Amino acid sequence: MKGLFKISPGYEDVMPQEYLDLVNNGPYGKNYGVDDLGTFKELLEEHPLCAGCGLALSMRLVLASLPAPEDTIMVGSTGCSSLAFTQVAVHNIHSLFGNQNAVATGLKRALKIRFPDKVKDVVVMAGDGATVDIGLDMVMHSWFRREKITTIMLDNEAYANTGGQESGMSQQNAVLNMAPTGKKFPKIALPEVAKASGCAYVGVVSPAQPKRLGDMVRKAILIAREVGPTYLQLYSPCPTNYKFKSRETMQKIKERMESGMFEVMEYITPEAEAFLAEMKEGDKQ
Amino acid sequence: MTAKSSYKVLPGPEGYLPPAAATMSVMLPDPGEGLVEGEIVPQEQAINKIAEKLLSAKNPTFFPGPLVLWAWKDGVIEKAVAAKELADVVGAKIIPMPDYRPKYPMINPEIEINPNHPNLTIWHNKIDVCVFVGVHCHFANIALKIIRGGTSCYTIALCGEMGHEDAMITLRDVKADTIRKITEAVKEMKAGGVVSG
Amino acid sequence: MVEQKVLEPEKLFFETQRTELFITGSEVVKEAIKRANVDIAISYPITPQSESMHLVGDLYAEGYVKEYFRGENEFAVMSEVMGASMAGVRVFTATGGPGTLRAFENFPNWSGSRLPIVCAFMTRGVNAPLSIQPDTIEMAFMLDTGMIMFHAETGQDIFDMILKAYVIAEKTDVHLPIGIFMDGFFVTHTRDKVKVTPEEFKLPPYKPYCSPIPVMDMENVPVRHMRDPFVMKSNFISYAAHASWQQEILAAVERSRKYIYRYLGGMVEVENKNADILIITSGTAVSQSREAIELAKQEGIDVGLVKIKCLRPFPVDEIRELAANAKYIIVPEFNRVGWMCRELKSVIEDNSKVIGAPRVFGGMTMPPKLILDEIRRCAN
Ligand SMILES: Cc1ncc(C[n+]2csc(CCOP(=O)(O)OP(=O)(O)O)c2C)c(N)n1
Ligand code: SF4
Ligand SMILES: [Mg+2]
Repeated sequence: MKGLFKISPGYEDVMPQEYLDLVNNGPYGKNYGVDDLGTFKELLEEHPLCAGCGLALSMRLVLASLPAPEDTIMVGSTGCSSLAFTQVAVHNIHSLFGNQNAVATGLKRALKIRFPDKVKDVVVMAGDGATVDIGLDMVMHSWFRREKITTIMLDNEAYANTGGQESGMSQQNAVLNMAPTGKKFPKIALPEVAKASGCAYVGVVSPAQPKRLGDMVRKAILIAREVGPTYLQLYSPCPTNYKFKSRETMQKIKERMESGMFEVMEYITPEAEAFLAEMKEGDKQ
Repeated sequence: MTAKSSYKVLPGPEGYLPPAAATMSVMLPDPGEGLVEGEIVPQEQAINKIAEKLLSAKNPTFFPGPLVLWAWKDGVIEKAVAAKELADVVGAKIIPMPDYRPKYPMINPEIEINPNHPNLTIWHNKIDVCVFVGVHCHFANIALKIIRGGTSCYTIALCGEMGHEDAMITLRDVKADTIRKITEAVKEMKAGGVVSG
Repeated sequence: MVEQKVLEPEKLFFETQRTELFITGSEVVKEAIKRANVDIAISYPITPQSESMHLVGDLYAEGYVKEYFRGENEFAVMSEVMGASMAGVRVFTATGGPGTLRAFENFPNWSGSRLPIVCAFMTRGVNAPLSIQPDTIEMAFMLDTGMIMFHAETGQDIFDMILKAYVIAEKTDVHLPIGIFMDGFFVTHTRDKVKVTPEEFKLPPYKPYCSPIPVMDMENVPVRHMRDPFVMKSNFISYAAHASWQQEILAAVERSRKYIYRYLGGMVEVENKNADILIITSGTAVSQSREAIELAKQEGIDVGLVKIKCLRPFPVDEIRELAANAKYIIVPEFNRVGWMCRELKSVIEDNSKVIGAPRVFGGMTMPPKLILDEIRRCAN
């Protein structure tokens, strides 16, 4: 393991417990996944997001599913998730609201120059407002340019951090701040846009299916490493702004699924599929 | 506007929002030099002053930062060991700054220090002299100013790069060797009769 | 591509044998970047910047620059170079006028993040109405972004300022973005004699781990690090942390002064400083002033000239001292708002002697005669 995860001799006994745990029982180089949650020290430390926050749960699952956390650099954006990102034990960038895919583009290309023979996964994880509204041009252009980065949207169907305003991902007719008479147009079909824009893999899932979510995160990152851009949309309801009880988050997702308004979806290009098959073959040998 | 030329980098509490020393015309030392309370002096003189301050302190404390706490590249361990030895010889406490993140819900000031509110750790442990070592320059300067603003702690910054005007004493280009020189100075002073407070 | 060897900046700048070229400002940008050991350059077209970034593209095609592409808009481009810089490489980009304003949110963000990004600004008018013509109004907006700002008068300035900007920007105690401003068309599209360093030498590479803030590569510590962490609370701790951070940016700007002296030979250039009438300005307004001073001389009027090379940090002490004995200070500018005049008035003790004229804008040239008129008024 790299020296960055080792404590210098003589300082072990002054290091706070959380760092000792990270060193002794962290996920770096371990190939852990969602199934291993509870058995290792997670990357995400205590954070200030609300109780029952769907987005916080999605973040936790994504972080537990990174195929190579020791070589993953993440890019976030302003929003609720940025408050938790300060507590994440992989290098991550908060730059401005909406420029995450542009930042990730520069980051990925620079890392390629500095470490041409090393895996350096660049993973963007940002809110729906950041991804589909203010940052949409940069999100799409990173796809058009076939940047080898993974884009993950934490879709809580609102601008949560600024107090629950309508976003492009809100449902039609939803009454929210800045949509006092209800939203006038449907939820933006970003997964369709992603397919048409050159993504090699597109997925929609929620933390109600943690294992599936973990699998899809892995695929999205591995495909981005070798084949091309990937997009993952994680439906992550916000109890605070949609005014339901914090323990009802999973219930909300299930209701959506039962009513047919939310479906898990996966799209993969033949090239990406072949790559995954090849990897599996390699793993067996 | 505050008069620039008269500005001295001294223990606080300096008040609501103390200025960055660099904006008060305090300059960083050149190689071979150190900075004592805003004045450039030969490195050796600064080293002696550090030894003196450490030995006369009631509760000297080292704040090692990420650059020495984590064995991330060649040379780090040697420097970390040298810093630990110095702290031991002085009889100083070690309170780490393992990273720079704001902590939720709050830090435990007994066992750690954070650049966003270093004053909490200093107040809690009644630290009168502290040593920064292995802290990235940007975060060291942020913390050093906050300390000057809110506490009476005497700050010493052992910098691997160019030094810190916001500390009361700073050395630049600090390597394991430089730290061992301070240890030697402390030992000599002790032998000469200066006792730890 | 010429095989290039790394040479220490001091040697490269001051000890190598220079050759004289007769080239446009855009071509000078290319010559500087060729020797700057740049890893990534990112472009977006806007007149009068485009030509220089085409030429930087040629450098990429030839192998002098490792990576180059056209981004989707200026806001994105400035974010892209930011991501690259945070990953620990040396970057270059350029824009101007509306592009500068489109990208604006990034500039204080670069400074706040302590990124040694070097960006050229080929200045032009801003809308409305649209104008592609020379005007330095965008510099008024840039003055308080926390960036270091150089203003080139000549092709020679462009060459030296760009190369030296990398060295100054990347000092650990500075580590800030530097903007090199040049008046669109007047210097970018005119030919000038420029002495360049040998093309077989380039600057040493950027050293990412001398950065005052961790690099985002998962190869340095601490691993639990966000660029840049914020304390998002409404309490004094949060305010104090943010305030101290901002002060550190100001401090870093201040620390650049000694390097500006070392590499650029000072913040100002002065001719005939004891004259009663002084002209103080920057950019191509200096060249126009030189001609006016020649004309005044023929009429027997003695006029001194102060060329300000660096606007941030501002040469406060230098200007105060120079202005102390002058009776009149004339400030010609290529913009409507007169930002240079404002700057000078804010530091000169008796600022009633500062004359904010002549001012031209909208793309107009500044006939030396206009400046001469001001000189005559002062002399009578
Ligand atoms: C340029 C700019 N415009 C607006 C904002 C205000 N702002 C901050 S967070 C946010 C909402 C974020 O929404 P989303 O991306 O969906 O993330 P969420 O908080 O819902 O997780 C807004 C509008 C900003 N910080 N910067
Ligand atoms: S406001 Fe909503 S999205 Fe934001 S932290 Fe609270 S529950 Fe989560
Ligand atoms: Mg949202």
